[in-house]
Amino acid sequence: MYAMRYFFALMVGALVLSTLLFAGYVHAQGEPMDEVHKKALKEGGTLNFYGTLAQINAAKVLPAFEKRFPGIKINHVDATSDKLVARAVTEARGGRTIGDVLQIPLENVVQAFEQGLLVEQTIPESKEYPEGMKGNYWVASDLQFFIVAWNTKLVKVEEEPKQFDDFADPRWKNRMIAEPRDLELLMALAKYKFKSDEKAIALLKKIAANNVEFHSGHSQLAELLVAGQAAVCITCYSHHYPGRIRRGAPVNYMLTEGIASINATAVFKNPPHPNTAMLFARWIASQEGQKAMAVGGRTPAHPKIEPVDKTRTEKIYPISAADIKEYPKYEKIWKEIFNLR
Amino acid sequence: MSTIALPRSVKNSVALLGDPALLIPLVGVGVLIYLAVLPLFMLLLGSFQMEVAPREFVATFKNYQNAYASQYTYSTFRNSVIFASGSAVLAFALGTALAWLVERTNTPLRLVFIPLAVVPLILPGVLESIAWIFLLSPKFGYINVALMSLFGLESPPFNIFSLPGMIWAHSVGQVPLAFLMMVAAFKSMDPSLEESAMMSGADTLQTLHRVTLRLLMPTSASVLLILFVRTLESFETPALIGIPARIFVYTSEIYLAFNEYPPDYGRGAALAVGLLILSAAGVWLYTRSTREGKRFQTVTGKAFRPRQFDLGLWRWLGCAFLMVYFLVVVLLPFLVMLWASFLPFFATPSLDSLQKLTFENYQYLFGFRPFWGAMKNSLVLALMSATLAMMLTSLIAWIVYKSRLPGSWMLDFLAFVPITVPGIVFGMALILLYVAFPIPIYGTIWVLLIAYVTRFIPYGMRSASGAILQIHSELEEAAAASGASWWETFKRVTLPLLRPGIVAGWIYIFIVSFREFSTSVLLATGDSRVLSILLFTMFEQGQVTVVAAIGILMILTLLAVVTAFYKISGRVGIQT
Repeated sequence: MYAMRYFFALMVGALVLSTLLFAGYVHAQGEPMDEVHKKALKEGGTLNFYGTLAQINAAKVLPAFEKRFPGIKINHVDATSDKLVARAVTEARGGRTIGDVLQIPLENVVQAFEQGLLVEQTIPESKEYPEGMKGNYWVASDLQFFIVAWNTKLVKVEEEPKQFDDFADPRWKNRMIAEPRDLELLMALAKYKFKSDEKAIALLKKIAANNVEFHSGHSQLAELLVAGQAAVCITCYSHHYPGRIRRGAPVNYMLTEGIASINATAVFKNPPHPNTAMLFARWIASQEGQKAMAVGGRTPAHPKIEPVDKTRTEKIYPISAADIKEYPKYEKIWKEIFNLR
Repeated sequence: MSTIALPRSVKNSVALLGDPALLIPLVGVGVLIYLAVLPLFMLLLGSFQMEVAPREFVATFKNYQNAYASQYTYSTFRNSVIFASGSAVLAFALGTALAWLVERTNTPLRLVFIPLAVVPLILPGVLESIAWIFLLSPKFGYINVALMSLFGLESPPFNIFSLPGMIWAHSVGQVPLAFLMMVAAFKSMDPSLEESAMMSGADTLQTLHRVTLRLLMPTSASVLLILFVRTLESFETPALIGIPARIFVYTSEIYLAFNEYPPDYGRGAALAVGLLILSAAGVWLYTRSTREGKRFQTVTGKAFRPRQFDLGLWRWLGCAFLMVYFLVVVLLPFLVMLWASFLPFFATPSLDSLQKLTFENYQYLFGFRPFWGAMKNSLVLALMSATLAMMLTSLIAWIVYKSRLPGSWMLDFLAFVPITVPGIVFGMALILLYVAFPIPIYGTIWVLLIAYVTRFIPYGMRSASGAILQIHSELEEAAAASGASWWETFKRVTLPLLRPGIVAGWIYIFIVSFREFSTSVLLATGDSRVLSILLFTMFEQGQVTVVAAIGILMILTLLAVVTAFYKISGRVGIQT
């Protein structure tokens, strides 16, 4: 009898323990996304997505989410990252949060966080990402590689560039275009390639002497390059080129070395659709979401998902989350070198 | 201004305090204050506020200091003045030359040219700028490429990404306005003075120089002024050409103050207040000068038709000028857009690119949800804005010009206010007002509807009041004498007679709403995006050939709606 009671107590204890363990496991794994989907549907079926994802990529990525989670429609507020953060700040100033999810370059995500706009939380899917690809309020959504690209009609095969240093040569005078905000080039050269500010500055001063023409927006830079506005673009994105080359555009790009910067996803504080926001943040970080990013023409951040196109460079100079704190310093030098506003 | 005695019923009711008749102008004044004045008040308030902590504001003059005493103040001022005066002079010169050739000379084909000259009015400003980027970009612009290969030039002769480039791209869009105003001026000119000059032995050029142009001086000054103000207020060219070229004017500074991180609302608002004052002063000077001009008009009742100069053989040169203008300024931007819309990526015309022509962009748009969303928003907004603005302004115009209801002068004044407000300034004012407004319309198409209706009230007033002044008071008096109340008189007599004016105003407001950019650029996002903003965003994202396809569909939609409206209004007996 005593043994029976003992056995029974043991069974109950084991049951309680296993229930607790299971609950802990489920918590660590997070609620299944389909459960979050059910909750999300009760929020009205809309997701306000503040993202820099270009329409050409968004047209493939966002419908994949809508197909996976029927009943949810994405309202994509697209603009450059500056404009999106400025908009969110304006809305917060008026006492409003309209955005659910923010997906922009990491340095701008940091700005939004500093303004108190983002919620601190870790999502279960983030554990699949290495350090440096996640923070306590963001997870990398994709990587962007700053590379060199050129117009094949204007650059002969024998003069094709192999590294950034090549552009110090006067033969590139009046033949280069770049984006005025891409101080990442200076930062990566200084911190990772030369490990010396002086050397990086000296190189960029020589490049500046060759008269670089600046145009805002990387997509526009790519299009200008295709059209022949310049022979070479020194701060273009690698993911902009495979598609254009497939369509027969006269361009090629350098994959020997490049600068990797992070695009990150974060959730707004007190968003109008919190569960929908969480669902999207988790999906885009999951392998499934990352595959959609790859198919959509981006370079996935997930270590197990390969990009569809050749967008990763052989040598990678990664701009880390810690580097972002040094942006103001390098921005000042960058603007001085190229005499930018 | 002719006013009539109010219908008896109104007189009686005005006498009785608290009667609804008195409420009508009061409600009108209230609506206009809400629409036009309240946002400007918020803007003014914003320009004296600084955020010290999230949602904590202090009163300050520092925004003005930041806006007008920075290292960029001088360059912005200089760029703005050069851009505005250059565009005004160029548009005026082209418009006047065309108007003179068409109206006062025997240039062949001049009559065919009149409708063709105003066609560019339908081309949205954003598209106009994009088309000129395609044509005059230094390295790939079609005109540059053609000239370089034709004459073996080493460097491109034109660069759109410069101040002269901005002036050109903007002013060609302003030529139809200058043309129409100068045609009107030439038409109303008494020819006797010119005839006297000719009789005294002056030749055509001397007469033109010494008499015609001098007679036109007052009108010319006011046309130049209005072109100057309109350029100062414009944002299409500064956004598409100025910002990439790092040439900043007031409108782009205001836009960037709001759209660059960290946003500086105070500085933006202070810049906006400055631009508002400049623009209001310009409009005030313009109305003053046109009023002054009227004092010197000789309304003689003498039926005269301005004489036509015989240009002799020179008339063929005049004809060539008209044709070159039409081909280069009207047709070429459209053709380049059409060509680009069939390219897989932007390329100069060649055998190679001819083989690459494709329907890919149109196919892409067919399944591209944001395009259909923007098309729906643009159509709904243009239809609603035109209808609401014309309903509101025909009522206001009737109160102002036909009733003696107290407060009608105030209505007239308030309905005029929006014309002094640059689009981007109004957009900014609306953000400041509606972002914290209890009714959640910020970020929806409703805030755009409010913006469009308010901004285009002055245009509606112009059409409606023009029509109302032509209605003789006897008709209304007859209605009143037959016992109709003022409302019945308005509904059954005045309104039907107003229809032609209303239709003209409706079409105009439809067009300007459909192509509106400078207010929408701050207000339209995501689901509330309109076509002009989709064009701008996608152009920024480099999908230029898709942008060209959207542009072509946008022009076709405008033409289709305007034609349909003409047909329908013609069928119900409305002539415009």
